[in-house]
Amino acid sequence: MSTDPLIGRLTAELQPVRRQSPRRAALILAMLCITEIIVLLSLGWMRPDMPRAMGMPSFWWKTASLTVIMMIGATTTLRSLNPTRSPRPGLRALGYVVLAALAAGWMIDAAQVGPIVLWRRLDPVHGLRCARKIIELSLPVALALGVIVRRGASVDPRGTAWAAGSAAAAWGALAFVMACPFDDPLYVAVWYSLGCGVVSLVTRLALPWLTRW
Amino acid sequence: MTEADWSRWMAAAQNGDADAYRHVLGEASAWLRRYFQRRLPPSMVDDAVQDTLLAVHEKRHTFDPAQGFAPWIAAIARYKWIDRLRAMRRVDMTSLDDELPVMDHENAVTAAHALERLLTLLKPAQAEVIRLVKLQGFSIEEAARLTGQSAALVKVNIHRGLGRLSDVVMRGADVD
Repeated sequence: MSTDPLIGRLTAELQPVRRQSPRRAALILAMLCITEIIVLLSLGWMRPDMPRAMGMPSFWWKTASLTVIMMIGATTTLRSLNPTRSPRPGLRALGYVVLAALAAGWMIDAAQVGPIVLWRRLDPVHGLRCARKIIELSLPVALALGVIVRRGASVDPRGTAWAAGSAAAAWGALAFVMACPFDDPLYVAVWYSLGCGVVSLVTRLALPWLTRW
Repeated sequence: MTEADWSRWMAAAQNGDADAYRHVLGEASAWLRRYFQRRLPPSMVDDAVQDTLLAVHEKRHTFDPAQGFAPWIAAIARYKWIDRLRAMRRVDMTSLDDELPVMDHENAVTAAHALERLLTLLKPAQAEVIRLVKLQGFSIEEAARLTGQSAALVKVNIHRGLGRLSDVVMRGADVD
């Protein structure tokens, strides 16, 4: 079978295209994140004890960990949209960062004094609410990343989906840090991980199917 | 024709130059045919080439002239190859006999030899039934009789074997 007719058709259909730019995509994501923060602040979501929280190591632990996870996830996703680039090194780095973050949280937790009942510390009623909020807040970035990934040409759609899901989830959690009054590392490790895990898993399952090419 | 020419043509095609695009697709088509002839049964080569050309067209905005054309199209071709390996799992195995190549013996031998090298990475039971059913054209029942596996197990082994093969290729194995 000759490919000449196909080549003729594709040539006839040719239109100029704007070259894919990871920087432009990153800028769009950054603007979306800023917009989401502005909307949340204007809705009065900021926790009332923010000045006190900013003096606590656990507040900075969760903020810094989520920022790093989000940056690595987003960078990995955007880089992998070029078919010559694999998301695997970025995913490995994400795995190490998550482990390091949990270890750091454990060390901060170990520094706390006094006997505390595990169930009370976990506070599942608020915990599940936190996880749900994280999922909701991650949706705009997850959808934006979905559109960006669909336009790209990832040759490892599952890897790219993990990275995109991690980035969206970390962003949702990061935005929620402003409103969440809980700083207990155990609470954060369990419920934030649950919210982030759900977003990452759903993205991993849905995105490769939606972005098939 | 050098790779620099290909990159220049593709960059021009991104700006709407139809002549450059026709050149680069013509060259790419010939290269893709050789690529897939080494990796797929001959009956799948034409479809794979056309599918990859369509992908090149659809994703031409992802080409970066700074990286060169060869690595870009090789990555797309590899992706489509993995796609075809996965698709082989979904093909109705009872109708495979009709698709078996008889015209182009040399290509069939080349593809079979290349796939044979990949099959060494699988469990012997999986490799054996893939070899029999997918490369030599035996039916599921015949493969079951020849290997002593049940027909259901032959199907499972083909399915899992091809799945593992595409994962192995995804992680970097190739026939070259």
